[in-house]
This record gives sequence, C-alpha cells and structure tokens, in this order.
Amino acid sequence: MDITWMSFFIIVLFFIIVMESVRRGILETRDSLIWIFTCMVLGVLSLSRDLLAYLADILGIAYAPSLLFLFGLISTIIMIFDLTRRISKLNNKVTVLTQEFALLKEEQERMKQDKNEVRKKKI
Amino acid sequence: MDIKNVPKTAIIVPAYNEEDNIAKTLEGLMALKNELDNVEICVVNDGSQDRTKEIVETFEVVQINLPQNLGIGGAVQTGYKYACNHDFEIAVQFDADGQHNIQDFVNLIQPIMNQEQDMVIGSRFLQKTDYRGSRVRRIGIYYFYLVLKLLTRKKFTDPTSGYRAINRAVIELFAHHYPRDYPEPEVLMHLSRKGMRIKEVPANMQSRQGGASSITTWKSFYYFGKVTLSILMSSIVKEY
Repeated sequence: MDITWMSFFIIVLFFIIVMESVRRGILETRDSLIWIFTCMVLGVLSLSRDLLAYLADILGIAYAPSLLFLFGLISTIIMIFDLTRRISKLNNKVTVLTQEFALLKEEQERMKQDKNEVRKKKI
Repeated sequence: MDIKNVPKTAIIVPAYNEEDNIAKTLEGLMALKNELDNVEICVVNDGSQDRTKEIVETFEVVQINLPQNLGIGGAVQTGYKYACNHDFEIAVQFDADGQHNIQDFVNLIQPIMNQEQDMVIGSRFLQKTDYRGSRVRRIGIYYFYLVLKLLTRKKFTDPTSGYRAINRAVIELFAHHYPRDYPEPEVLMHLSRKGMRIKEVPANMQSRQGGASSITTWKSFYYFGKVTLSILMSSIVKEY
C-alpha cells in the first residue's frame, strides 16, 4: 500500500478515536480542538501531494514531506507545553486543597475535644 | 529571658519523617512556651510515614497533618495559613531536626515586637559561631549570598537559614503566596522587592542531630539550578 494512503488511514483512525473519546466524555471538548485541527491538517496534506509540494515550495523546503514532520512537531510541542502548564496549575490547586483540608481537620478535631470537655464538666 | 509578655506568637515546626529528633525539639519548645505567654506551637506534619504523628500527639501542641507530602514550602505555608486564620501577630519558623537554638528565640522576635523589622533571620555567619557545615554547603550559601547581593543590593549572610520570624504583614503575604521547594532564598528576593524590612541576627546552629537532610548530594545540583532560576524569576515576575 502506498505510504500516502497508509498515513491517511492512520490519521482517520486516530480522528475517530478522538471523536469517540469526546462523545464518551473521556476527553473534554476544548481539549479535543487542537487534536481535531491537527488531524484535519495532516489528513489533507498527506492526501494531496500537489498541495504539499506547493506549500513546501512557498516555504522553501526542498523535501516536501518534511513539511508534514514540521507541522506534526509544532503541534506536539504546543500540546506538551499546554500540558505542562496545566500540570503546574493542577499542582497549585492540589496544594491549596491539601492545606485547606489539613487546617479544617485540625479545627474539627479541636471542636470535638472542646465538646468532650464541656460534657465532662456537666457530668 | 527578660521579656514575658509577647504578642500572640506561633512557632511553626514543619516535620517530615522526624521521629528521631522531634521529641527533643518539642521538649525544648515546650519549656520556652511555659516561660512566655501567648506562644503556641504548631507542628505541620508533612505526610510523614514514620512515627512522627504519634510522637507529636503526646505533646500539648497544635498538630496539622497534611494527608500527603507537599514538600517544605507547602508545609511551612500551611503553618502560615494557620497563623493567618487565627490572628497571630508573629510567626517563627523552627526546624524539627534540632539544629535551631531556643536561646536565640527572643533575639529573633525582639525587633519585630519593637516594630523595627518585618522579618528577622537567624544567621550562622553574622558572627563566628560553632556551626561546622560541609564545604559544599558553605560554598552554596556564599553563592546565594552573592546572587542576592547582586539583585537586592542587600547583604544576607545566611540566605538558606530556616530560622526566621515574621510579623503580621508578612504572615498574610506568605499565606497568600509561598514558593514550593527550597523556598528560603527566594523569599528574600520576593520580600525585598516588596520593600519589607529584613534583618539578620546571630544564631547558633548545631549540625543535624539525626535523620537525613532534605538536600542530598544529587539533589544539590537541582537545588542550585532551581533556586538560582527562581531568584532570578522572582526578580522579574509580576507582583502577586
């Protein structure tokens, strides 16, 4: 099978997985945007050799398929950076939650003790 | 000790797997607490897996148990949040491993009680003390001294010291924002930029009594890089 078709099928398969994940609620819609966009661009570029050659020519790329790599690489880097940022953000949130939880628990414990002391005094 | 009436003061003791040292440290602090009014000891147990929790429970102190390990920055900040919520006027950070000396406590909080300073740091190098750290450690401390001097034009002879006292204004600031790992030098940059008054007083410190330091040889490379970067970063970041 021609490599063009093979990569196209892989991309279509991947596209279906993305859509199915969104449908099942595993992947949030806003997170799927960049994946859908990447799939579409890669799909179109891998099917139409003329378009790929034309774009490569404009950009001054001697070997046209490397444009595919470039595009794939850029989207991957953007996605990884976005993920790192989100991890940092989540990290902060988890820290705040952990602290707040511990502080509340301490307060609850103290209230329990106070209650017990009051009860003892009554007896 | 010449003063008895201190404003509401919290001694924050972050502890992570400190079963070897915590009892001794807390005994010392309890003696201090009995001597001074208005002092509360607050141990932040940073998700220890050993018997730290059980040992701390035998003392009459406030114990805050983090359900998971957050690292020194997150643990200390929990203490500052506690101090902030319960209207403490002064907070003192005190290491659980027994390297800090309670004899220096009054010297540390005195400038804050007089409202002359916002933060006071116990320094091992301001005067000649008995402190004997490894050479690498002292080179590291000197390096941060140079970096901070370059950026803040102020001299912090012991920028990594964890023995520090702060007033209400700084407590509120720390409750809102505190760096995560290896926070000590970074905080100095942050506070200098805010125009806070910081002073060092001489303090004696023992080399650690037992347990393991949070900074191992391999981690020290990461430590240098991370702290340098975060000092540089906090000299340019947006004010929070």
